[in-house]
Amino acid sequence: MADRRATPELVGQRVAAAIPTPRPAARRLPPAALLLVGAVALLVLAGRRLGYGLAEYAQLLVDGLATGSVYALVALGFVVVYRVSGVINFAQGAFVMLGPMLCISLLGPLPDTAAGLLLAALVATAACAASGALLHRLALHPLRDAAPLARIIVTVGAYVSIQGIALKVWGPRPYVLPAFTTLSMADRLVDVGGVVVQAQSLWVWGTALVTFAALGAFFEGTVAGKAMRACAVNRTAARLVGIQVDRMGTLAFALAATLGAVGGIVLAPSTRPTFDMGLELGLKGFVASIAGGLVSFPGAVAGGIALGVLESLWAGVVLAGFKDLFAFAMLVILLLTFPRSRAASEESA
Amino acid sequence: MSNRKWAAAGACVLALVALGLAPLRAAPARVGVPYRIGFVASITGPGASLGVPERDVARLLQERLSREGVVGPDGVRHEVQILVHDDQSRADVAASLARRLIEQDQVHVLVGTTLSGPSLAIVPIATELRTPNISMASARAIIEDPNTKRMRTWIFKPVPENLHSAAKQAEYLKAVGINRVCHLYENTAYGQDTFASAQQEFPKAGIRILYGDSFDRFATEFPQVTRVRASGCQAVVIGSIPPAAAVINVAVAGRVGPRKIVHGHGACSPDLIRTAGAAAEGTVMPCGKILVADQLPANDPVRRVNLELVAEYARVSGGQPISTFAGHAHDALQWAVLGLRTVPDGQPLARIRELARDGIEGIRNYVGTHGVMNLSPDDHLGFNPRDFVIVTVQGGRFVLLPPDRWK
Amino acid sequence: MTARLRSPWTAVPCAVAVVAVLDLVEPFGVRLGHLTGGLLTADLAVRAGLFTIVLVGLNLLMGYAGQASLGQAAFYGMGAFASAILTVRAHVLGIPPEVVSAWWWPWVVMAAAACAVAGFAWVVGWVILRLRGHYLAMATLGLGIMVYIVLRENLGMPHLNLTGGFDGIVGVPRLRLGSAALWPVGVYLLVVWAAALACVALGENVVHSPAGRALRAIHGSEAAAESVGVDVGALKARIFALSAGLASVAGSLYAHFQAAVVPDTFGFVPSLELVVMSAVGGMRTVWGAPLGATVVLLLEQLLRTHLLGLVPAVSGELEPVVFGVLLILLMRFRPSGLVQAAPAP
Repeated sequence: MADRRATPELVGQRVAAAIPTPRPAARRLPPAALLLVGAVALLVLAGRRLGYGLAEYAQLLVDGLATGSVYALVALGFVVVYRVSGVINFAQGAFVMLGPMLCISLLGPLPDTAAGLLLAALVATAACAASGALLHRLALHPLRDAAPLARIIVTVGAYVSIQGIALKVWGPRPYVLPAFTTLSMADRLVDVGGVVVQAQSLWVWGTALVTFAALGAFFEGTVAGKAMRACAVNRTAARLVGIQVDRMGTLAFALAATLGAVGGIVLAPSTRPTFDMGLELGLKGFVASIAGGLVSFPGAVAGGIALGVLESLWAGVVLAGFKDLFAFAMLVILLLTFPRSRAASEESA
Repeated sequence: MSNRKWAAAGACVLALVALGLAPLRAAPARVGVPYRIGFVASITGPGASLGVPERDVARLLQERLSREGVVGPDGVRHEVQILVHDDQSRADVAASLARRLIEQDQVHVLVGTTLSGPSLAIVPIATELRTPNISMASARAIIEDPNTKRMRTWIFKPVPENLHSAAKQAEYLKAVGINRVCHLYENTAYGQDTFASAQQEFPKAGIRILYGDSFDRFATEFPQVTRVRASGCQAVVIGSIPPAAAVINVAVAGRVGPRKIVHGHGACSPDLIRTAGAAAEGTVMPCGKILVADQLPANDPVRRVNLELVAEYARVSGGQPISTFAGHAHDALQWAVLGLRTVPDGQPLARIRELARDGIEGIRNYVGTHGVMNLSPDDHLGFNPRDFVIVTVQGGRFVLLPPDRWK
Repeated sequence: MTARLRSPWTAVPCAVAVVAVLDLVEPFGVRLGHLTGGLLTADLAVRAGLFTIVLVGLNLLMGYAGQASLGQAAFYGMGAFASAILTVRAHVLGIPPEVVSAWWWPWVVMAAAACAVAGFAWVVGWVILRLRGHYLAMATLGLGIMVYIVLRENLGMPHLNLTGGFDGIVGVPRLRLGSAALWPVGVYLLVVWAAALACVALGENVVHSPAGRALRAIHGSEAAAESVGVDVGALKARIFALSAGLASVAGSLYAHFQAAVVPDTFGFVPSLELVVMSAVGGMRTVWGAPLGATVVLLLEQLLRTHLLGLVPAVSGELEPVVFGVLLILLMRFRPSGLVQAAPAP
């Protein structure tokens, strides 16, 4: 402790980053799960008053799942960066916007076919990954020894800049990315026993599942993935065994940007992308990642989906104006029920 | 008819007018003090989709005014400079800029700003510093003190309100025989106000709102539609601005079957058609006449001014089609110019501002983008709700729907 | 700590105040605002003073006690709306008009609001300050957004229309002292900066009191602080309440300055901006507060009014880009803020 007190730069670290040690998830699940079940039960009861049947609830659930999957993808980006470099990356939302915007611009000269769309999406995602890596090399790498707060402020600056550039390039108008199934603006609606699902929602779920699986395989099965996990557990030790920690940071930013861009692109056909869509989605992804503990991948996915479903239930049953109030109240209560959010102290950093 | 043709036509008209006026202006006009018009718009932030077209119009009018200037009642010609600033859609910045433009840059008239919140923040400053302010936002509270119900002396706005829009919607709904509706509005100042206005106006026409709720501006899934389906309403009224208006339009059209969708005047933008596509076909909305200028009857007084603006706007905006917001900026700046036109030369700054204010309040039969407007001490808007027209979307463009074709 | 007072940075807020006052007095008919190219205005100086009051509290909380807050704008907003509601919409609550129109009423409201907001924060603090690090930051963020939504949704009572919804409240009266109006803006500037400097002095006092040493002990290690007899929970709650109370006072002063309050001024992004200002100034010092507020506001003003002059074609879109890049560069070269903390004693 003594040497840390002597370096003012490190002091702020504890302001922003008392990094909790990852612990087995099982210990914190019961209170959180109970809370969720309780909230859902209350909302379901309230819905009975409106005369909702099974079909209505299924519809609300399905609605929430699609939004929740995108929250989960964005949340994963936060977790990747946080675990490897200890930074909350507020620029994450910028990639959620850049992905679809670049995709739409690239699609312009390409033929309106599935191959054209796929090509545009891939190039846009790659470009986002590259800009994520670039952001790390240019703006964050030089501050690798600074307090996390300074680096967080840098990501805020990056977000502000990227959104400003996007406004200059694309203007304030909304854009259209064609639905993946029909390759046109109008999406196909799938009716399953009275529950209506946009075909695009199926794409969202599919992409999310594939991404989760790929991410799992990457961290479990590849050298780079294992190296990144090592960085997350203990940076100094990772450096000692020969892992290039800085390079892993760059990789983490690229990966996070990729996740954000993928989330943005699969969501884009159901919305109308604008230059400022990143703020809202970034914030919701951040909330989801925190609800999942900020260090846990399954936690982020669960947090994102839970957030989406709860929001949907609340909006469908009570009043949508207070939807966010409900989401954030749940979040605060959830945080208070995490044993480790209180028990973990800066000593574990 | 193409924009270029209209541009050519507009240019011919202008040339003829200029030729006709040439003898009148032959006397060497004296040159008076230059006038400064402060122009604050939300060029960045959430209001950008409104503010950027407004800024483009300000540039357009600056070009026009650089050629023509403002000629006072005494024949003295004044240069006009429009000082354009961005309030970032934030009330604090709008207030700072207003104070700065009035005190530092000593503008004679202040035009701005785009959104209701920032506009309301300018109100006390313009009032205190006794400078005429013409807002481009729609809230009633901007020009009228909600506590005393009196006009604010220094504040004007050429922007119709949601009450007018709701009254027109009610008129239409009643005519087509609908008396049970659902109301979905985006959770912004605009959306909240459309709902409050509908609650006030619809019951007067015997229309019940069975279910009303808001949705997020960035939402992609709408659980509210489940409620709409359960509520048994005959039409869905949407209070929203594109892109959110387009997204919910698609969701409602796809899921609740052939129910009518009625938008508010916030949706009167080509962005709605561009981003909602086929789902927007057949939706109706009350709009200012600028949107369907080319379909107005030839004897409509606002036809010509709108056609000119549409043609010129396409040039400065890089081919973007016009929206009603561009029209608001045009009218606001025109009012400022009309006010300044009544000011004789050789007055001190404070007096010019007072006279310009009186001049604006005295505007009668102003032929604007949204109709013919008459200002008075009791009405700082001067809009006649009859000037709203019902517009529908057909074949990917806005089509005027006269009352005899409503059914 | 006199060493810090002698720091060249402390001259900046003083200079702003002096220049802006001279700007109003206009000696020899020269407006100093013009001499500075219109950069320094009374308006900017008032806003810098208001943010200074908020940031002193935030620096004590974040820089000294090490407790993150991403929801500070909520307390600022609660103070602003309390003052606005109780002066403009008081009749709805049945408060007699002769009370509302008395000169002392806004001051009473300001003090009462500060106490109420501090009390609210104290109660909330007991609960959420048990959280640490990012979890605490997140909880305060959640709290901030919840308060913003409640303000925006008319406190859940649309029939009373107390907060005015999205449009907020217009027409908050100016402050008076007896029969003397604390206005025009040049006079108000003195009031705000007197309050701001008093808050800085208060902050310096807290820092050098036993409580301040206990705070730094908490920052170092809560367990260690507890073991030497510091009542960690109580102290954290108290400092949270103090920072909230200061933010509320600043909010009240803001409401009487701006005369119009809208909820959007108190949402998530403003809270984030407060943290940015705090980090730019240096959150480990009390003097970082006036400096951070002044520098950030000056920077924004410079971009807004002067960038436009340099590149006439941009008007608007490029300001945020340059601001973001400058923020990155600032953090690159002064990662712990402009005012460096003195080494721990």
